[in-house]
Amino acid sequence: MGGRYAAQRRAPWVLMAPFLALFALTFVAPIAMAIWQSFVAVDREGLFGEAGATSRFAGLDNYARALSAGFVASIGRILLFAVVQVPVMIVLATALALLLQSAAARWPQFFRVSYFLPYGVPGVIATILWSFLYVPGLSPIVDVASALGIDVDFLAPDTVLWSIANIVTWTYTGYNMLIIVAQLSAIPKDVYEAARIDGAGAWRVVTSIQLPLIRPALVLATVFSLIGTLQLFAEPQIMQDVANAIDSEYTPNLAAYTNAFTYNDYGVASAQATLIALVTFALSFLFLRLTREKAS
Amino acid sequence: MRAGEPLRGGGRAFSRREALLIGLGASASLLLAGCTPAGRPPATSAVIPPIGPRESVTLTYWSWLEGLQDVCDIWNARNPRVQVRTAWIPGGTVGGYSKLHAALAAGGGPDIAQIEMLNLPEFILQGSLVDLAQYGAHDVSDRYDQAIWSQVQFLDGVYGIPQDSGPVGFYYRADRLEAVGAEPPRTWDEWAQIAKAIREDDADSYLECVPSADGTPFISYCQQAGARWFEPQGDEWLVSMTDDATLSVARFFDRAIDDDLVDTRFDVFSPAWFAAAADGRIAAATAASWADRTIEGVRDGAGKWRVAPMQTWGDRGFGSSYLGGSTAAVMTSSAHPQEAFDFVTWMTTDPEAIDAQIEHCGIGWSTSRDHIGTSREKPSEFFSGQEYNREVFLPAASEQNTDWVWPPIMVRTLAMVADAFRAKLSAGVPLVDSIAAAERRTVQAFRDAGLDARRRS
Repeated sequence: MGGRYAAQRRAPWVLMAPFLALFALTFVAPIAMAIWQSFVAVDREGLFGEAGATSRFAGLDNYARALSAGFVASIGRILLFAVVQVPVMIVLATALALLLQSAAARWPQFFRVSYFLPYGVPGVIATILWSFLYVPGLSPIVDVASALGIDVDFLAPDTVLWSIANIVTWTYTGYNMLIIVAQLSAIPKDVYEAARIDGAGAWRVVTSIQLPLIRPALVLATVFSLIGTLQLFAEPQIMQDVANAIDSEYTPNLAAYTNAFTYNDYGVASAQATLIALVTFALSFLFLRLTREKAS
Repeated sequence: MRAGEPLRGGGRAFSRREALLIGLGASASLLLAGCTPAGRPPATSAVIPPIGPRESVTLTYWSWLEGLQDVCDIWNARNPRVQVRTAWIPGGTVGGYSKLHAALAAGGGPDIAQIEMLNLPEFILQGSLVDLAQYGAHDVSDRYDQAIWSQVQFLDGVYGIPQDSGPVGFYYRADRLEAVGAEPPRTWDEWAQIAKAIREDDADSYLECVPSADGTPFISYCQQAGARWFEPQGDEWLVSMTDDATLSVARFFDRAIDDDLVDTRFDVFSPAWFAAAADGRIAAATAASWADRTIEGVRDGAGKWRVAPMQTWGDRGFGSSYLGGSTAAVMTSSAHPQEAFDFVTWMTTDPEAIDAQIEHCGIGWSTSRDHIGTSREKPSEFFSGQEYNREVFLPAASEQNTDWVWPPIMVRTLAMVADAFRAKLSAGVPLVDSIAAAERRTVQAFRDAGLDARRRS
């Protein structure tokens, strides 16, 4: 029967093979291995395991241990962070995008690039730069504030989370703005013309045309920001050096990292990584579902 | 809706591509964990014979000491058949150990690595260290200081060669102590009185600062008081972090912090500490012998600083304690453990090698029984012409709690002690309570690692 038909069916797989191979090797395999490891524990004989070490299936033991008080607290901390930081950043990004797309904007290209620029600074470098503005004795902001009689401590236990939020907002606002700008530019000119003919003012154009039409971009930017927030790692890890309030389980990813690479406890680290992924899935789909229902 | 349709319009289901993207993003954290197989049996490898007379080898040595290659080059010039190449790694707990663990788990790794005393058992647990007794380590034990040698012996084996140690002394600004009419403290009680006198003398000054997120000094003081947190008995670990010695040290620092006797705003040897020390707002530091180089960095400090023996816990415990200290350990990844052992023995006992390590790497206290280092036998200009190494640290090196044993889960307990100080300084939780909680969690940490442990009753 049609050898040609079979060849046609084979072709996409042959063409996709390089991608699929790398995808399986660098993505599917490690994830499968992490999930497998999250169910494995090690038993040791002797004081240092010198008399032998055996791996065994541990059921949900690693998950029970993964949900330590510190890890649960870190999830709570990061959810609080998300509830505050993500809306602030999305509102800011939307406002900047609308301003740059408005007819009255001067040098929109220049400002678009300027706002986007922080995203080009690697997170680690950004955190080090901001640290210099936070550390008392080095920070000109703290100096000026104390000269004015205001005592600020950006690194205290109750403020350091918001100091991190500030770095994240600074880095990603411009990026989210670009997503929204792209969507705004896709709105056909005739929609604006029709609105003008109907006598709509600038504000009415924003609320009745632009905001409803960029809704998908806003939803997507929010979901990506949520995912990014739940995986917060580099900023708190770097800030540990200057802020003692950041412990080894400050964010969920930091906790998993500590378990894996400081404690060599890959079972618990894998369990925590799996839990982070599950929470991220759940929250992302919940958010998408909510926004979808509202719209329909 | 077709997957991949451009974003447009209001209410709609998210596309398959979006769902995939979210899935990919969310799974990224799983990639972190999926790198390393867990649990390998420790080294029970057969002895590897030395190389033949016509063969030659190049050994790799991972360490965070700067200038170590200069020391190796002295050896390399004399031993053309056994060349040693160093590679710099970040300091142990700030990334060096992670790198080592990862390399070893992946089947690679160096011949020799720098590992601190307190981390040695954790590497034994991972099966990463060669028992050097198989290569003649017991025969060279008499060339080393006996107190430090006791820290590398486990299970009748020798799992690292001591490279340096950190006997503790009391560094102080003589002028600041004189201002309150004080001599260097002989006991911690006298230390508290001086701290109080300095607070009363000047509201901006403190005698010392306590680290807010580092557990090692506290543990060192407990060691000095005679604590014995970990005791191997048969195949079981006995844990005892709430003995009298530990609780009295915890109570002492609870009181010192509550009474505002110690500066808690910055850590010792941080930039803020140097600024305070230069101004005389910090008058002293209870620190290890290797802190001399650091303190010499205090601006305009020359001739003002002196060193006295560490203050003691009265009739309890020991004259000094250890703070820090490293070994040169031979890894199971090495194909030439005999040559590696010969090299590290030379490095840690040959007077020329020790002098070179002091000059190029600034190592801590020499572990050799016979040689503290030529430059360390001279009086110091910075420390007011004092021969502090001979006067203070040489005796301190032998006044040690040799019953102290580091356990294979020390990094966890260390983090718990650090958290205890964080909780004390940020929320006022008494150290005595946190340490009691840390004891329970430490027993659990042993069990989580698959080992037997219980609280010593």
